[in-house]
Amino acid sequence: MTTGLTLYDWTPDVRCYAVRLGLSLMGVAYDTRAADMDLPTFQRPAGLRPGERPPVLVAGNVRITRPGTIMQFAARQPAVARAWLDPAHEWAILDWLDFGTVALDMLAAARDLAFGATLPVLPPMGALVAALRRMEDHMSARAMAGHDWFAAPAASIADVLPFVVFALSADLEVERDTCPALRRWAHRMRGLPGFVVMPGVPDYA
Amino acid sequence: MERWQPVSVLSNIRRGEVAGVRIGGHEVVLWREDAQAATLHAWEDRCPHRGMRLSFGFVRDDALGCLYHGWQFGGAARCRLIPAHPRVRVPASINVRAYTVREHAGLAWVSMEGAEDFPHQQAGWPEHAQPVRTVHVHASVGQVRHAVGIAPDGGMAWHGPVGLAVHEPVAGQAMLHVVRVADGPSALGLSHWAERLRDAVEGGAQMAPVMAELAAGIAA
Ligand code: FES
Repeated sequence: MTTGLTLYDWTPDVRCYAVRLGLSLMGVAYDTRAADMDLPTFQRPAGLRPGERPPVLVAGNVRITRPGTIMQFAARQPAVARAWLDPAHEWAILDWLDFGTVALDMLAAARDLAFGATLPVLPPMGALVAALRRMEDHMSARAMAGHDWFAAPAASIADVLPFVVFALSADLEVERDTCPALRRWAHRMRGLPGFVVMPGVPDYA
Repeated sequence: MERWQPVSVLSNIRRGEVAGVRIGGHEVVLWREDAQAATLHAWEDRCPHRGMRLSFGFVRDDALGCLYHGWQFGGAARCRLIPAHPRVRVPASINVRAYTVREHAGLAWVSMEGAEDFPHQQAGWPEHAQPVRTVHVHASVGQVRHAVGIAPDGGMAWHGPVGLAVHEPVAGQAMLHVVRVADGPSALGLSHWAERLRDAVEGGAQMAPVMAELAAGIAA
């Protein structure tokens, strides 16, 4: 039986990891087409259109390539718990979802620069560090108000992309001890049912 | 380096939690037992087995487990279980380097030299200070201490109901620890004030207006 959802996925890509994590947390089943972007075009799966790069989620006539939009699409599926896009907190969730999407793009660009170079060099990190600091300030304030999650009383799609940004920024030498509020929140994320790790990145960051 | 370093507000290291901190570039793991006494420990952040950071590990009751191969270290910093050899009595020589740690004024204080005396006990700081927040500042410890008025040999500065302390994770950076007495300004108000202070220090702005906010009283 097929799920009706197909994800074109490239394992080491951080945006793809964010999508896999979100879909897994929400309990959304999908079929995977592995698309290794290091291979020449003719060796990539036929369904991937020219110019597209993973992640691409295909559901019938719908094709979505942006992780934030994929999160919304998944959270609006009837079988998914409403808490992931809690109607009572929808605007706060969407606002942080958009923030997370931009921060994830910054993380992806910084990693491309850092690991694509022949010599391991750290790219300019100003914007990414500023985003992490905004997240740390936000989660400090949330904790003081008795809240555990970014935008709603329970975990929502607003938490997924910021988690990936925080967890994988460890590879770029952002030290964990500078973000104590994010550390405590990330620990809760790792304890959620359906949590999955990024291959090659230990389950601790 | 001073003997006792304030390394974290206590709200960041609750029962059963593990946190890595740096002191002058040295990696230290703070962890609190998930047991009745809930004792706080500060050790070198390095597993004696293969060098994994113990701050990636997990607390099991009154022991800290290493994420890599699960060796468990008890309160006395001695290894007491090697999961691959559960029946083997673990040699007493396998242990982690332990530092001394004190909980005082809402903060965790660590002495990497293993000092036993804790002079700040007599400093007359408010007995029941509550943790607010630890904030990372991209500026030298000297700059931050000067900005908030901590004397070179003093552990903290108290501005009425608000206590401030600083430590150096690594040269050129500072962690500012904010605590308050119960009927002082709101934690949230102080947290936002600490952000303004951080931004002012990093931006090279005048400190007097930010510090004057403390004297005037912080609103939520
Ligand atoms: S490195 Fe810690 S148990 Fe092996």
